[in-house]
Amino acid sequence: MPVVTLYFNRLQKLLGKRISQEKILSILPFIGLDIEEQTKDHISVEYSPNRPDYSTDYGIVSGLQGLLAIKTGMPKLKIKKGNYSIKVNPSVKKVRPFITSVVAKNGKLNDETIRQIIAMQEDLHNGIGRRRKKTSIGIHDLDKIKFPLSYTTVSKDHRFIPLTSSSEMSISEILKNTDVGTKYGNILEDSQKMPIVIDSGGNTISFPPIINSNLTTISKDTKNLLVEITSIDKNVAEDVLAVVSYTLQNAGFTIFSTNISGANNSTPILNPRKMTLDVDLVNKTLGLDLSPSIIVSSLRKSRLDAKPKGNKIICEVPKYRTDIFGSMDLVEEVALGYGIQNLEPTIPQSQSGGEKNKITKALDSLSAIMVGLGYFEAINFGLVSKEVQYDLTKRDSSKMISAADSKSQGHTILRDGILPGLIDTLSKNIHETYPQKIFETGVVFSKASNEIKEEIHLACVCAYNDVSFSEVKSVLQSVFKVGFGLHCTTQMTYLPMFSEGRTANIVINNKTVGVIGDISPEVIDNFKLRIPISGFEVKLTGLIFD
Amino acid sequence: MSQVLHPIEHKIIKTLKQTPNITHEELAKNAQLTIDQVRRGLEWLKYKNLIDVNESEVFFARLDKNGKESVEKGLPERRLVNYLSKHPVCTFESARTAILESEFNAAISNARQNGWIEITKSQNTNIISLKDDTTKSSEEELLSILVNKTLVSEIKNKTALESLKKRPDFILLESIKTSIINLTSEGLETASKQSESVGERKLTTEMLTTGKWKELSLAPIDVEAAAPEVFAARSHPLQDVINEVREIFVSLGFTEIYGNLTQSSFWNFDALFTPQDHPAREMQDTFYLKDTSTSKFATPGQIAKVSESHEKGWHYDWKISEAKRMVLRTHTTCVTIRHLAEKNPDEARIFSVGRVFRNEKVSYKHLVEFNQVEGVVSGKNVTLRDLMGLQREFYYKMGLKKVKFWPTFFPYTEPSLQSMVYNEKLDKWVELFGMGIFRPEVTRPLGITNPVLAWGGGIERIAMLKFALSDVRELYNNKLGWLRSVPKCP
Repeated sequence: MPVVTLYFNRLQKLLGKRISQEKILSILPFIGLDIEEQTKDHISVEYSPNRPDYSTDYGIVSGLQGLLAIKTGMPKLKIKKGNYSIKVNPSVKKVRPFITSVVAKNGKLNDETIRQIIAMQEDLHNGIGRRRKKTSIGIHDLDKIKFPLSYTTVSKDHRFIPLTSSSEMSISEILKNTDVGTKYGNILEDSQKMPIVIDSGGNTISFPPIINSNLTTISKDTKNLLVEITSIDKNVAEDVLAVVSYTLQNAGFTIFSTNISGANNSTPILNPRKMTLDVDLVNKTLGLDLSPSIIVSSLRKSRLDAKPKGNKIICEVPKYRTDIFGSMDLVEEVALGYGIQNLEPTIPQSQSGGEKNKITKALDSLSAIMVGLGYFEAINFGLVSKEVQYDLTKRDSSKMISAADSKSQGHTILRDGILPGLIDTLSKNIHETYPQKIFETGVVFSKASNEIKEEIHLACVCAYNDVSFSEVKSVLQSVFKVGFGLHCTTQMTYLPMFSEGRTANIVINNKTVGVIGDISPEVIDNFKLRIPISGFEVKLTGLIFD
Repeated sequence: MSQVLHPIEHKIIKTLKQTPNITHEELAKNAQLTIDQVRRGLEWLKYKNLIDVNESEVFFARLDKNGKESVEKGLPERRLVNYLSKHPVCTFESARTAILESEFNAAISNARQNGWIEITKSQNTNIISLKDDTTKSSEEELLSILVNKTLVSEIKNKTALESLKKRPDFILLESIKTSIINLTSEGLETASKQSESVGERKLTTEMLTTGKWKELSLAPIDVEAAAPEVFAARSHPLQDVINEVREIFVSLGFTEIYGNLTQSSFWNFDALFTPQDHPAREMQDTFYLKDTSTSKFATPGQIAKVSESHEKGWHYDWKISEAKRMVLRTHTTCVTIRHLAEKNPDEARIFSVGRVFRNEKVSYKHLVEFNQVEGVVSGKNVTLRDLMGLQREFYYKMGLKKVKFWPTFFPYTEPSLQSMVYNEKLDKWVELFGMGIFRPEVTRPLGITNPVLAWGGGIERIAMLKFALSDVRELYNNKLGWLRSVPKCP
């Protein structure tokens, strides 16, 4: 989850009212922020990516002002008509079809404001922007730009001085030799045409979604900004533009419109949307009996506009609230504005008694029987290593099921049997007293014509100097007789994991349901164990439950 | 310390009481034990301070060259007497023919001392005459004893010994270092308390069947002695926590459902309104299964409506190929939502516990695989406050009495809350289960008409608090040392 750093002195100033540090700390969780770290002068809070407006302290302050009733209702975004324009060339259609933009003027930047804006930009890139694939943002020094701008495409030979560089590079070089180029170059896939924003002086302003030009770099002295957002989705681009515009307005800038035209692009409209909320839905969902006026004031504390109209509430939702889809989202806004801490928990009466699942119930019984026979329960993973599951145990890996791109080496394939994991468990306990007797029940996986089948198995191992085939066979017989009234027989078979002549199939009701035997000395040695092991594994699915 | 004695110890004490100050060999002989049994028994008894072992020197006497000869031929005085028995009165001169000159004086002197002869003088000649009583002398008796090596201390007639010692090459004295065993005062006390019969070590079937037990008593044992450790087998502590959670759900009127660990993306994500380009669906977070597919994962109606809900809500082209991709479930919600979609019950209280998977790097905080529990309540009139109340009830039954709620975000619930519970041991608030009401974008396409309250979270976190673990991996490394020692009811 993304993190925002909040300095107490800045918060105080932005809130516009003296609020104690404790009060701020106690109220932050109630606008959905988790406090991650706390020092004397600042805190770090985690916000959820569905609230991109909380990506700066400006947005968080707006939320706090609502709950603290310092300012309620929807913050208005005022966009003045600007004299700026971007023309879109149809050649961008195949590579990155949409651009949107505003101009922000007469603001004052300082180090912390710049830091907040850059952090917002990164969070928006990674969240809604889907790592810049869907949307990317360029923020430029307006005064370095000659309008009108052109959003068009160029070849990879096009050259300009990219941000933080001192010399000209070709687009090919940027894609190959810069960090951002290698990280985000794949977004442009194999397109030969590269998207580019060029001003009327022929200067390159931006190479979206990779990098800005060095020419328009912003600094503390920058007063006027151009925001350009390119995207593969026009709606998302405008949502992001709304978040940025609103943030810059809060930071003291005046927002001006940019006229956009060409190739299905248009000047963005960042107006709030009207939604209707049913009072009954609010009360039915929350279990309350709130009057329309309480609902209205709650919504206003959540920084929305609301007016009662009969049994309905007419709400106005600012464009930047991309998380609000429908009525239920407004119900939550009511709950937050009303205060979660003011909701008294109630208990609904149960209509009927509960019960356990028949599969897990059978496993409970099985576990009790194994424990009664002196076996400890082990819990291993279902996602295991090929080495343990197949190589060290000499098992057939031809039907192995792999997970793609596992980050953990020991967890790359799905187990098709429990015994290998139990032998591995023994190998981690060589310094513990013998006899060691362990069992496990759990899901194992198999594959038939690419469809995965899941079955539940029981397996156990017994390890000590005097262990024998017949000892574990006694356990096997006992488990199924005592547990389920089933009679087991064993029939000689051969499997490389076990010693030859000491391996048998387990047969119940004329069906082979498992295998029992003495583990082969080679396998024992592979696990660096120095103790004889016998064990069995039985498929329970189809035997004691379906 | 109670003195519970082994039968060997009993025999040794009994023997020492009868014959104190004896050697190992004597003890073995008298107590009818092997020398090894004696050595072992003595070690135990020494440790219990019931006996004393003193190292000391013992003298033995045996015959030397002349002594051996005398046994064959008789002592010089006996030979003199034998001569006299044929010549009852004779002169010194004639007697000298029978005995070596070197022995003559001793023979005369000893025979006279023994009262066997009388000497009279007549005409310058000494006459020897035999008396009636010539029974064996004490020296002779001793000689026959000393044919065998004998403890000096056991020789009664010390005068005879001294006398023999004076004769050249008659007696050899040898000394041997030996241990002399004796009871201590404590040992004597124990011995006096000791009943005549030691008792039987073990009760046997034979004693019971023959009725022999009636005549026997059982030997006491050292009931305070340390016993070897045995390990009571048990279910896994994590499973115990899972079972506790299941019990609580059942007691709250919930029915357990079970579902597969492998799921189509459709149920794991699409049905829960998670857009196909959502970061959570990337391979970096979710395990996709290679070379697998699914044919009948949902009904055409479900697919059409879910697709429509996505396209309307998220503005993108929904792809069925993406929905078909098989994943290891990232939550149990896919199981509960599928259950609701298939059964569409008017009222429901269901729960599900099981493994879920996340493609993470394993660390003390994170596992690739862990257990999640999820509860769901559906009904015409269920509310957010009910959801909060059920949480509070659940935690109360888990022993967590202080609970508070904060807003949060989950992609498929609205409103969404997270619960914080106060942990006494850690003295802080800990985040536990998340909860919410399923979004209409989730329920509507699946034909679920009533509100659905849902909550859930990881079980490992609860287990870690319960067993005071700081590394979540400890729950899965199956260390027998831990499994054999961790209390079942901490």
